[in-house]
Amino acid sequence: MQGGGRVRSRSLSVTMRRSAMTLQNNMAKNQRGEAAPSSRMTGRERQMGGFSLLLESSDDEGPEEVTFEDSKADARRSMKRALDTARREKELLKEKRRKRQELFQEQKKRKLLSAEVLEEIDSTKQEQSHVKAAEEEAEPEEVEGRKRNWKQNAARNLKGNYTVTTVKQSTLASSQLKAAEDFLHSRMYGPGSRRTTSNEMLSLENKMGKNKSAAVQFVKKNWACQKKAKAEKLKKTWIHMQQIPSS
Amino acid sequence: MGEFKVHRIRFFDYMPSAIRAMAFSTRTERLALARADGALEIFNFSDNYFQEKVLPGHDGRAVEALCWVGPRLFSAGLNGEITEYDLENLRPRYTVDAYGGPIWTIGVNSQGTLLAVGCEDGTVKMFEVLKERIQFQRNLDRQRGRIISLSWHPSGTLIAAGMMDMIRIFDAETGRATHRLVVDRGAGASKSKEVVVWSIAFLSDYTIISSDSAGKVQIWDGLNGTLIRTHLITKWDVLALSVSQDESSLVAGTSEGTVVQFQFLSSTVDRLDKDWVRTRTFKNHSHDVRALAHTETAVVSGGMDTQLVVRPLLDKVEKNTRESAIRKVSFPHRSLVCCAKKAGVLLFQFPDHLELWRLGESDGYGKPGGSLPVKRGPEKLIQLKRKGEDHICCSALSPCGGWLAYSTVTSFRLYRLLNGSISICKVSKLPKDLRPAHQLCFSTDSSKLFASSSNSSVVVVALNEPECKYLGTLKAKYGCRQPVHLLSASENGKWLATANTDCEVHVYNLDKLKLHCTVPVYGSCPTAMAIHPTTSNLVVVHADQQIFEYSLVKKEYTEWSRRLQKQGLHSLWLERDTPITHVTFNPKNPAHIIVQDLFMFCIIDKSLPLPEAKNVLYNQMTLRSLPEPDRVLHSHGFKICKDFQHLLCVSLLEDHSLVVVERPLLDIVSQLPAPVRQKKFAT
Repeated sequence: MQGGGRVRSRSLSVTMRRSAMTLQNNMAKNQRGEAAPSSRMTGRERQMGGFSLLLESSDDEGPEEVTFEDSKADARRSMKRALDTARREKELLKEKRRKRQELFQEQKKRKLLSAEVLEEIDSTKQEQSHVKAAEEEAEPEEVEGRKRNWKQNAARNLKGNYTVTTVKQSTLASSQLKAAEDFLHSRMYGPGSRRTTSNEMLSLENKMGKNKSAAVQFVKKNWACQKKAKAEKLKKTWIHMQQIPSS
Repeated sequence: MGEFKVHRIRFFDYMPSAIRAMAFSTRTERLALARADGALEIFNFSDNYFQEKVLPGHDGRAVEALCWVGPRLFSAGLNGEITEYDLENLRPRYTVDAYGGPIWTIGVNSQGTLLAVGCEDGTVKMFEVLKERIQFQRNLDRQRGRIISLSWHPSGTLIAAGMMDMIRIFDAETGRATHRLVVDRGAGASKSKEVVVWSIAFLSDYTIISSDSAGKVQIWDGLNGTLIRTHLITKWDVLALSVSQDESSLVAGTSEGTVVQFQFLSSTVDRLDKDWVRTRTFKNHSHDVRALAHTETAVVSGGMDTQLVVRPLLDKVEKNTRESAIRKVSFPHRSLVCCAKKAGVLLFQFPDHLELWRLGESDGYGKPGGSLPVKRGPEKLIQLKRKGEDHICCSALSPCGGWLAYSTVTSFRLYRLLNGSISICKVSKLPKDLRPAHQLCFSTDSSKLFASSSNSSVVVVALNEPECKYLGTLKAKYGCRQPVHLLSASENGKWLATANTDCEVHVYNLDKLKLHCTVPVYGSCPTAMAIHPTTSNLVVVHADQQIFEYSLVKKEYTEWSRRLQKQGLHSLWLERDTPITHVTFNPKNPAHIIVQDLFMFCIIDKSLPLPEAKNVLYNQMTLRSLPEPDRVLHSHGFKICKDFQHLLCVSLLEDHSLVVVERPLLDIVSQLPAPVRQKKFAT
């Protein structure tokens, strides 16, 4: 019967309204201060009391009676729990931060160590600035190993074959030219220019043309060599993998 | 006929430069073209679109705009300079710094007295055009943005300037900016980017037509400063505009490679309300179209795909004739490859360096059409970088492979190659008279060097190890001003033939170092010529595909040449659209002339009958299928081979093997910059 479902829902809504009304009455009682202990309760507790009523509103029976002490203890417990979790989280974060800081300091110390070594050497030979730049890129172990040789050869390197040249001064005109060319390039090929590659364009022509053929990187032998080499390698390893379980 | 072993060469990485700007001069029917590397080319539109002159480029001369002022050519570039060119000596005449930062555009008024340039700092600068120079006159009101494009009103009183997000109209006399036309930005993502007014045109009825980076062509009323109409023609930028002389037609070039034509037509028959209506769309380019010119009968376009396309308009020319065919110029009309016949060494000329290669070897035997196994591959011997900022103008290699010379507009260098062309050393002591040359040529015995110089004269220098001696200057008759673009020395060392862009061919006697004779002037420019080793006949091929043979001894046209002229060349031969760039001979058969253009090479056998109009011209394939006796009946003197395409050079070595230098177009297209992404259905 069609009406059955509707009747049920109507009864539900009636119940909800009833319980809502009772809730309102209780709240009104509380607000009016009819029950003296209610003034001692905090607003939150009152609300929580209200919430517990709402949860049970799906039943047809009336709301349960909850004593003040019970709800007070409940509220205190949940508050404590919340505070505890917050404290724990803070501590965890602190821990994490401390660990990270330590790690950074360690890395810094490691880095500083290699720089220290270099500075020691450098203090004796001031003029060899370009050699120092090369050394800074080397591994610390290598620097350690080479330090001795380097010190001995330093005297020879001073008179070695190096030339000092001034960097060609780019004039105002050439920098303006570069800026103008950059503007043109960014307007035509920069972001938002919706461009594709020559490969794609030619491959599309192959696909749509009268004599249809494959994409250009498959048609021309010397295109996309790296990709083809990678594909070959992948194929070989796959075949190898297939053979291992069978053998 | 003959079997040849062919060296098929595809390692010449010739890469043309993108077309940046062009200007057409109606008076002289010449088109000036500027490329991205600073090179300038002049095409003669009345002579089968022949590339008459090439001015080499310069590092840092980023030409943005070109302008003809009568017969004079001016360019403006991002280096902030205005340059006038000397077209008789193929070099810049002088440069004037505009002191406004990079210059984006240049325009001359219709009287030809004032030149206006639009600069990066927002000023439009006016220069007076004087007889030998230009002189700064004044600045117009300075604006707060760069001036990207400008156009004079035909009366010379107003200038319309396209800037970022707006168009300004200036009064040319007072210099005040009178109107400000605001250009809409594009929709969607382009709303945040400024719109650039790439190109602008001011018509005589005070209509302004502008094209911008949002893909619109807009029509404005220049007197009131209001927008009349907007045409959205593409999703990308509209980079170039060109209006025809009579202002009835206008073309716009886009980043997609399309050229859209608008015509001033009335929608009804009674011709009362005319309006700019979009009519045709041409898609002749795969990349951006950056330069346009609207001639009386055709639309000329060029852009990032480096090809020059001339599209005749079918309402101005007769349909289905040679005139109405589309023309594409993709390769230069001169030879960039020099072959040393005795040494088997090739010289490749690039704008910034030269490469010397030794040919490979193969001693297998095979059937015609098959490839032979390569015993020793080709190897690059030397790569010579040029000194200075000017690009290489011309270069030459002596037939023995022992001398190498190249010239730029400011310097000339000669090198000695030793140990089989492996080691190179510069010859430092050069005679003073050896100035920068337009064309270079070595004599066949490698004892002399010929360098063309100003006024169609040629300087002759004897090649010696420590110091080269100046032998003399060959002077043409008085009044020859045009540069020499072809030089050819005979094998016996007696004759030297020169051809200049005025269609004059002079022949000099090298024993006496004097002018021997002048070939009668033919209306079309010579594109290639050579002197026969035994008969001393000069064979000249012209831009309209005519061939002449002139006897130097008798000083008259040969009998074969007269016969050819009387019968006329086959119509398919005359319809070819690329000029012959090389003429050579076969040492084994004195009746053979080998000619080559971009798509074919042909062996002309003078002993066989000439093809008549009803014969098939390209008959090599059919002849091969016929049995032996029948072949003689059907063959004619023009044996054309089209197996190799995009030929840059065809030469015959001493060992009777053919050297064919090809440059497939696909290799060039694959290295071009990015085209726009077009979303097509089912891809």
